[in-house]
Amino acid sequence: MSAPVRDPGAAGARVDGAAAQGSTPARLRDLGALAVECALAAGAAEAEACVESTRSFSVGVSGGAIETLKQNVTRGLGLRVLVGDAVGFVTTTDLTEGTLDDLAHRAVALARFLTPDPCNAFVTPAEAEGADGATLPEDLALFDPAVRELPAEKKIEWALELERLALAFDPRITRTDGAHVSTHDGASAIVNSNGIARAWDSTAVTAYVVPLADDRDGRQQTGCYGVSKRWLRDLPEPRAIAAEAARRAVSRIGARSVPSARVPVVLHPDIAANWISEMHKAFSGEALLKESSWLTGKLEQLIAAPLVTLVDDGRLRAGIGTEPWDGEGVATRKNRLIDRGRLATFVYDVYHARRAGRRSSGNAVRGYSSQPSIGFTNLYIEAGAQSPEQILKQVDRGFFMDDQGSFGFNSVTGDYSYQAQGFWIENGEKAFPVEGVTVASNSLEMLKNVVAVGNDLRFDHSVASSTLLISEMTVSGRAA
Amino acid sequence: MSRNASRPDVDFADRFPRELAGELLAIAREGGADFSEVYAEYTVQTAFALDEGRLKRSSVAVLEGVGVRANAGAQTGYACADGFLPADLREAARVAGHIARDGGAGRVAPFHVTDSPAPFTLSFPAPLALDEAAKIAMLRRADEAARSADRRVREVEITHADSTRRFVVANSDGRWAEDRQYLSRFSVAALALEGDNRQQGFAAAGGCVEAGYFESERTPETVAREAAQSAITLLAAREPEAGSTPVVVAPGWGGVMVHECFGHSMEGDGIRKRTSIRADQRGRQVAAKGVTIVDSGVVPFSRGSFRVDDEGTPAQRTVLVEDGILIGYMWDLLNARIMRERPTGNGRRSSYRDYPLCRMTNTYIESGPHTPEDLVADVKRGLFCKHLGGGSVNPADGNFSFVVTEAWQIEDGRLTHPVRNATLTGNGNDAMLKIDAVANDLKIDGTTGSCGKNGQWKPCGVGQPTVRFSEITVGGTAT
Repeated sequence: MSAPVRDPGAAGARVDGAAAQGSTPARLRDLGALAVECALAAGAAEAEACVESTRSFSVGVSGGAIETLKQNVTRGLGLRVLVGDAVGFVTTTDLTEGTLDDLAHRAVALARFLTPDPCNAFVTPAEAEGADGATLPEDLALFDPAVRELPAEKKIEWALELERLALAFDPRITRTDGAHVSTHDGASAIVNSNGIARAWDSTAVTAYVVPLADDRDGRQQTGCYGVSKRWLRDLPEPRAIAAEAARRAVSRIGARSVPSARVPVVLHPDIAANWISEMHKAFSGEALLKESSWLTGKLEQLIAAPLVTLVDDGRLRAGIGTEPWDGEGVATRKNRLIDRGRLATFVYDVYHARRAGRRSSGNAVRGYSSQPSIGFTNLYIEAGAQSPEQILKQVDRGFFMDDQGSFGFNSVTGDYSYQAQGFWIENGEKAFPVEGVTVASNSLEMLKNVVAVGNDLRFDHSVASSTLLISEMTVSGRAA
Repeated sequence: MSRNASRPDVDFADRFPRELAGELLAIAREGGADFSEVYAEYTVQTAFALDEGRLKRSSVAVLEGVGVRANAGAQTGYACADGFLPADLREAARVAGHIARDGGAGRVAPFHVTDSPAPFTLSFPAPLALDEAAKIAMLRRADEAARSADRRVREVEITHADSTRRFVVANSDGRWAEDRQYLSRFSVAALALEGDNRQQGFAAAGGCVEAGYFESERTPETVAREAAQSAITLLAAREPEAGSTPVVVAPGWGGVMVHECFGHSMEGDGIRKRTSIRADQRGRQVAAKGVTIVDSGVVPFSRGSFRVDDEGTPAQRTVLVEDGILIGYMWDLLNARIMRERPTGNGRRSSYRDYPLCRMTNTYIESGPHTPEDLVADVKRGLFCKHLGGGSVNPADGNFSFVVTEAWQIEDGRLTHPVRNATLTGNGNDAMLKIDAVANDLKIDGTTGSCGKNGQWKPCGVGQPTVRFSEITVGGTAT
């Protein structure tokens, strides 16, 4: 049995609800240490606590008036215990004194029902070290005091301005489905009985607007654009966000279907980003182990065109998906999943890394209320050399896809089939807007068929890509 | 009834007395809001998961806290706090009340307890009556059944999750309503492998059910065999033919189409804000003749059912479309108040951390005159959709899409071979008008669905009999 890492008598360890609100990272770490100590006292061989405290604020406006103002102050603790190599997990939002002991006993009781597995052991500090030595959370620029201090009035003003600017962009935009500004300010801590004690804080600010453009027959076309950033100063001007959203809505007016065809397809960066976020599961060490990945057996093989390099970078400075440590306290890393077309690595959390005889790649993702699972941080395709215009010029006849439905990816087979909107391309130019089609292929074929990668990589969120040109996909529309 | 060792409980009335509720409602109206509401919740969720034949995950989560809402006209102020500390709750009430600044303080009416009857009652709710050992036994039985169904079944993932949710909702109009909601969900995902071909099948059971349901209605073995069979069927499936074609959709979960294509556009928020194309369509024909569409919160044992909604309004059956004519919308309190409509029990929220939205409960198409066989027999060439996966719609422009996890090709009125990787797309504005035949085999699937809206997920049921659409665009790679 290992000793807890922190003296639970340290200042700030006394817990009550009011104190936990707006807690400092150090305070959450102390609370985690106390929970770990309770678990060891309750009979756990090892224990790990994940503690989070967040303050979020959001404003939504519509029709020139505030529609919703919302402030959430939440906190919670998740406790994992190891009893006879089996794991029990409990979470609570009640951090009042006396509940930790009860929580710990319930976690231990729960663990006794599960299958023992030596790979369940929690991570040690030696295993959790980063590839690039000890980078401090401050070096990653995750916390902006200006986000925390931004007054509510300012956020309301911005949301109103976003909507106003979107409406002013074009007379055919007569209303919006709302403009939204939100901020998030939170602290997290991961503590385990092997000596891991991590704590850090971070901020995020998001702005988006959804203009509606009038189309024929009383129909309307939607445009939506928004950006999330860690730092206030990185957020684009409201004018830029509103213009992009409005341009998307107006450009769809008069959209129609096209006959089914197999043609080259240009993926807008948003569409390419959605594709790689769906593909990511195939790179998980868990899927590999269970043979449920369509990339099973392909490590070190050429699975994509040499133009394609797919990166998951947990240490991207000020990245919205960046964390100094992952959900188990392992230092995050920059992992190259596809390196110039070659399948370079799968990604792991601690449990699946142990099963595979490897080290965690720092990809355990979780909140306090969930157990770690393999996920991504900042996922992107490295930028290429061509401008989006140059890419479009290469297409004589094809489809430019810039919006899609929510469902259409099969993570076991890599099959891709989405409802799509965009433009028909004739002679290297957008000829007319298109809707009422689906675009389908298989991810392995798509990866091999990437014939151009744009130079327009931009991180609006945690997943990003440049414009991609896929040499052939099936566009299904009305009967030919 | 046995009691779970790992399931905590709390004396709710002690933590959230009426005097405190009344005080919070008054604080939230101090700035002149014309309505205030408090919602106190104590939810326990448990989950067990078995995969690779090992019991890998178990969890017990407690979610407890209070949300305070203030409305001024169409504006909403909302704030929540975890736990029940009065100081935190008063702070939340003040923040929510800031939505109104200039008016005089509003009063709070004396409480009247809502005592509407329960649409159905459970003697032994599964979340309370099944202890850890019983749930684990179910997982192991399903694992065994899926693996022995076919030698090509390689991996099986099984999850049992349940929740007990207790809440009190009180508002400045004097409403005081309480409810307890029990949900269980049992699901099996089976992976079948044959050479390089890998396919996954999925099946589920559950709802607001008695413990005995898992022995008498849908046993772990039944669910496991369905998942395994679906995976095996897909191994032999072909790619779909792309293009527009007649589509027959199987009963039950197929109702996810009416939920997405039509239901969302009938929710009161979009009607009031006129972002829905249905805003002016009352009295008009919006679906084919013979099509009747209902939203009902009182369907027995469904996860979309309840006694009162999350604003305390009793659940009811609301007819949205009768014989093709739009006759009514769904309403929550806020949108009903502004539009002078009667609330229909559709005010729902994912937890105390979110304000209620107007949304569906169990939405379904009523039975029609035909036999299910007739619907297929009349089709020369088309697609029969046996299992649909997820679907989505953009309510503003109406564009929808669905994944069909298992379909069959129809040729000359007969099902010839399985089809995988098909996507159905179209526009919800006219999808219900394209229904050209409705069968007499209504099934409501209240076992597994959850609907997402504005970032909030909420359990719901969907249903329909076998239904045929004259033409839907099917996406695929075969041309």
